[in-house]
Amino acid sequence: MRRVRNKMDNNIEKRVQGLTDRLTYARDIFAGKHEEDIRLLEEKLAVFVERARRGELADPYNDVLGLEELFAFVEKRLENAVTPMDKVRIVRHPQRICLRDILENVYDNFTEVGGQDEHSLDPSMLIARAVITRRRGKKTYTQSVMVIGQEKGHGAEFRNGGSVKPWGNAKALHYMNVAETEGIPIHTYIFTPGSYPIEDYPGAAQQIARNIYGMAGLRVPIVAVISEGGSGGAEAIGLADKRLMLSHGYYSVISPEGAAAIEGRLKAGQRATPELIEHCAGSLKITAQDNLAFGYIDRIVQEPPLGARPYHFDFFRSLRQEVLRATDEVVLSHRKWPGFRGLAVARVRNPEANLDEMHTRWGLSASAKDSMVEHRQQKFLRLSREAAIDNRPFMAKNMAALQDWLSEPWMHVKYDFFRKHQRKISTFMEEMGNEVEMVKNRLLSPWYKMTRRLPGRQTEDKAQELTALSTWTDDSRRSRWNYLSPRYKIDRTLTCPNSESYGCLDLWGPDLFAEFAGVCSHCGHHFPMEPEWYVKNVFDVESVYEFNGEIEAGNPLAFPGFEERIAEAQKKNNTKSGCMTFEARIDGIKMVVAMLMGTFRGGSVGAAEGYKFVEAAQRAQKKRYPFLAYVHGTAGIRIQEGTNGVIQMPRCTVAVRRYVESGGLYMVLYDTNSFAGPVASFLGCSPYQFAVRSSNIGFAGPGVIKETTGMDIPPKYHRSYHALSRGHIQGIWDRRQIRANLKQALLTIGGRNLYYR
Amino acid sequence: MLNLQDLYAMPLESHKVLVANRGEIAMRIMRACRKLGVAFTAIYTEEDAASGHVRLARETGGEKSLYRVSSYHDANELMSVADEAGCTAVHPGYGFFAEDFRFARRVMKRDRTMIFIGPSWKIIRELGDKINTKRLARSLGVPTVPGSDRPIYDEMEAERIARSVFEFQEQQGIRRPLVLVKASAGGGGMGIEEVYDIDVFRSVYRRIRNYALRQFKDEGVLIEQRITDFNHLEVQVVSDRTGRNPVHFGTRNCSIQSTGLQKRVEVAPGFAPGPITYSFDAAKVLTDIVDYSLTMARKVGYDNVGTWEWIVTRKGDPFLMEVNTRIQVENGVSACISRIRKDGRVIDDVDLLAEQVRIGLGQPLGYTQDDISFDGVGVEYRLIAEDPDNRFTPWVGRIERFQWKPQPWLTMLTHVPTDEPYEIPTEFDPNLALAIIWGKDLAEARARGLSFLDDLRLEGRNNAGEELKSNVNFLRANTERILRF
Repeated sequence: MRRVRNKMDNNIEKRVQGLTDRLTYARDIFAGKHEEDIRLLEEKLAVFVERARRGELADPYNDVLGLEELFAFVEKRLENAVTPMDKVRIVRHPQRICLRDILENVYDNFTEVGGQDEHSLDPSMLIARAVITRRRGKKTYTQSVMVIGQEKGHGAEFRNGGSVKPWGNAKALHYMNVAETEGIPIHTYIFTPGSYPIEDYPGAAQQIARNIYGMAGLRVPIVAVISEGGSGGAEAIGLADKRLMLSHGYYSVISPEGAAAIEGRLKAGQRATPELIEHCAGSLKITAQDNLAFGYIDRIVQEPPLGARPYHFDFFRSLRQEVLRATDEVVLSHRKWPGFRGLAVARVRNPEANLDEMHTRWGLSASAKDSMVEHRQQKFLRLSREAAIDNRPFMAKNMAALQDWLSEPWMHVKYDFFRKHQRKISTFMEEMGNEVEMVKNRLLSPWYKMTRRLPGRQTEDKAQELTALSTWTDDSRRSRWNYLSPRYKIDRTLTCPNSESYGCLDLWGPDLFAEFAGVCSHCGHHFPMEPEWYVKNVFDVESVYEFNGEIEAGNPLAFPGFEERIAEAQKKNNTKSGCMTFEARIDGIKMVVAMLMGTFRGGSVGAAEGYKFVEAAQRAQKKRYPFLAYVHGTAGIRIQEGTNGVIQMPRCTVAVRRYVESGGLYMVLYDTNSFAGPVASFLGCSPYQFAVRSSNIGFAGPGVIKETTGMDIPPKYHRSYHALSRGHIQGIWDRRQIRANLKQALLTIGGRNLYYR
Repeated sequence: MLNLQDLYAMPLESHKVLVANRGEIAMRIMRACRKLGVAFTAIYTEEDAASGHVRLARETGGEKSLYRVSSYHDANELMSVADEAGCTAVHPGYGFFAEDFRFARRVMKRDRTMIFIGPSWKIIRELGDKINTKRLARSLGVPTVPGSDRPIYDEMEAERIARSVFEFQEQQGIRRPLVLVKASAGGGGMGIEEVYDIDVFRSVYRRIRNYALRQFKDEGVLIEQRITDFNHLEVQVVSDRTGRNPVHFGTRNCSIQSTGLQKRVEVAPGFAPGPITYSFDAAKVLTDIVDYSLTMARKVGYDNVGTWEWIVTRKGDPFLMEVNTRIQVENGVSACISRIRKDGRVIDDVDLLAEQVRIGLGQPLGYTQDDISFDGVGVEYRLIAEDPDNRFTPWVGRIERFQWKPQPWLTMLTHVPTDEPYEIPTEFDPNLALAIIWGKDLAEARARGLSFLDDLRLEGRNNAGEELKSNVNFLRANTERILRF
């Protein structure tokens, strides 16, 4: 057969290739939906290609233009039908724009500083110093930024899909600090499905916590742009003054597949059905529009229909405008002179403005930096309050506010003035006392010398002291526990899980759950105990005063069927949320405690828990008390609350950082399984973290690690001893010694603004 | 389901006792049960299959009277044996669970409750704690070793007390004053050090404190006078479940011990003021310690058999050491010098174990102190396969010949069979037999003791073919010394 000579010209061929790519893209992201539209385009394209090859077309350029318009028309029409799950597929598609495309198209020049291609500490974390050139009139201005973000590399394998390892996040934090030193703004671009969940040196959670804590106080403007915001990995570089989001991106607590696996209670190796995944993607409220409505992002950057791809140059232009606007806005709103500030901000905010023809210096004075950091922190503290149900009576809420208002000046007087002078006075009195003592001894020494020689009395005294009953007020050895686990009433024996390896004899329940405090008397294995056990046995009897107990966990996303499950947990635990906050004393040392209860939906953290945690930290700060986060157990962020949960990571970390910087002592004590979001943020950032022997600490559980990395997890991977050797925690305590160890820690560590010693 | 009061009200014949021990004491408990008409269940482990107590149980026990267990230490296993055999009481013997208040508590508090033949668990706990015992004694004016009676946590206070203890001893005319520093939570010789010089006290104190903190998670330290020259005396106390009328069965002197402070010869009564002259009023010391012991027993409502251990210094000062809330190995030596007048007749073969089982099961004592009289001198030898010349190292091997001449004044208690060779199990202490000898006075008891030891035949070999080593010569040499201070 005679082969038809291809009469298509090179340019046409290129454009046809482009159209073919668009066709596969559309087919991929819709995953079987809208098949007739796509087939129509496919047929048209096939007809065109066939005819162009044969040279039957008089004006192929005109025809291909028509075809492109048809594609654009159909794409625009399909755009209206894009579902949340389609967006998930969009951001994961290899044709999706990547950070390198942005660096090339949004910035004017750049140098990669975090490694090149696969020769990098972590190729999935890309760091570059970039410049932006702006022109006003005849004058050009060049400004530097630090660009930090995950690089997916259009599916290149070594980029690991943008899943950053702990040391990649460490690299990011390092260059954030470099930017702080240099005083240049930071632009972060979030393209990650989630962090790589390994516990190395450092562990994933440990490093993310450090990043969030660092960003909470970073003294340069930070602008974050979210394309794929997968939970902890996103938060690792996501705490910013302005958070922009691409219109086709998603920002979520967990991937829809992960949520489906949890919802469907799947075992390892099982796959969720596409319907369930689609359902979860819809319920989790992960789109830019949802997050804007919640207030977790500041602005949406509109993308072309069906999402931005590298040839959408107009998109890059608008992205450039948006990041410039955001950066300018942050800088300008902290300028010194309010009048000029208002004008300048209004000018920048004007959507018609061309930011390329305006110039704003990005340097900030020290006071402006203070105000910027304060502003950033306040912004995060305000977020997500609506997502929790605040059932505190109206009067109580207002009384609390009034009391705060009144107590603030009093606290100032008490601690900043009175205590300082009190110390001076007592020093003076001590010195006077020393002098008096010396003079007295010198004057009376002849008398002492005489009386010491006299026989009698003294011998009897000595014998009396050594043989008679002494007074002993605090015999702490008897009736050691104020509270016994109700399980002690059942006559049964339990087998220690270590009995195979250590030969532990079976334990009798009434001994184990009462006297032994749930600890195997042979090997020291800790059986889990109820939260009440700790509340009643660690702190002084009758010293526990709970506050904010009325703040209630809700169902802010109206996640189907979740209300009942929350109600069930509330009934089971007789509490309104999974975080109990209270004031308590240990041997008279007052402290504020926030306890995450593993028995309330796995101790997961949602808006109510975060709210209470923040309030507790603020209370501790105000009262100058030590602040203890006691983690009875936490499974992570409550996925059914979506980003309302995720936002607690930066939010609570900000609260903690403010407390620590005000001179408080923030301690964390892990008891059982402590995983994911909370550990990777407000718990993991504490300088003093301790664990009870029973605890497992990490980012993701063994099943998830196996699923996402394909690695087999060695046994005891998450045990507290491993966390100790990673440097995540500072010590491991026996449950029976918690009280003594806490007291010792309080007495030896302390904080600069605490007054209990 | 029966409760404890129902169990106490049951007649002896309907009880069944789990003998939760091995060897010689298990045999004595079984014999006591037989004497009282109480059924019993014995246990044994694989290593003990040839032991006399297994044979005795097999020969004299009734239905479900012998079970093999994997360990004498596993309470769970004992409980299931007791349930399976339908036991109503548990006798712990000595060692193993005898002074374990948790075990006693478990026996009583489990759903299928049983009687623990021993004091109630609260008393075991109270008196098992040495600090508690010392404070109880002091509150009743009972003399205790001079020193602190509560754990000291403060270094300055500790040093002040140590200084007083030194000065006190100097005033007492002690040539080389000694202070003992010990971890209050410790026991069994761990975390104890002697201080000869107040200047090294602080370093010793810190060492002990840090050791205690590491080992016992409690940094409390006790500081006491160390008494080096003393006799070890005991008072045998018996009381029924009412706990109101404790009686004593005389005193014992257990001063002849091995280097590891294990008793080897026990003598009743504690001193012999007639034939031997002491530098103090020995008769008064004996009445004093008996009175003190009974005062304490009354105070705590002691409700079974127990032993108050005393040390008596060369000056004749008694100090309470501790209370053993169990039957002791040497109870037979007290029994052999005792006579009870009961229901108008005199019992002269007193069996303290039978008494323990009887009152333990809820029977009233049935006699008072006035009905108990003492006659003669009892000596108990512990025959052990060991090498007294080499720090009493246990000897392990096979006993091929074990014979003695039966005498009316001799009681032999042993689980070692005499008609066949016996392999000494390595798992348990190598105690072979107890020989209890009675004489009408000290001289006769001594002479009979020596003649018993002369007639004794104890031969064997170990795997290396070496001759059996025993403490017979050690016992013989020490017979001269008994009751002398």
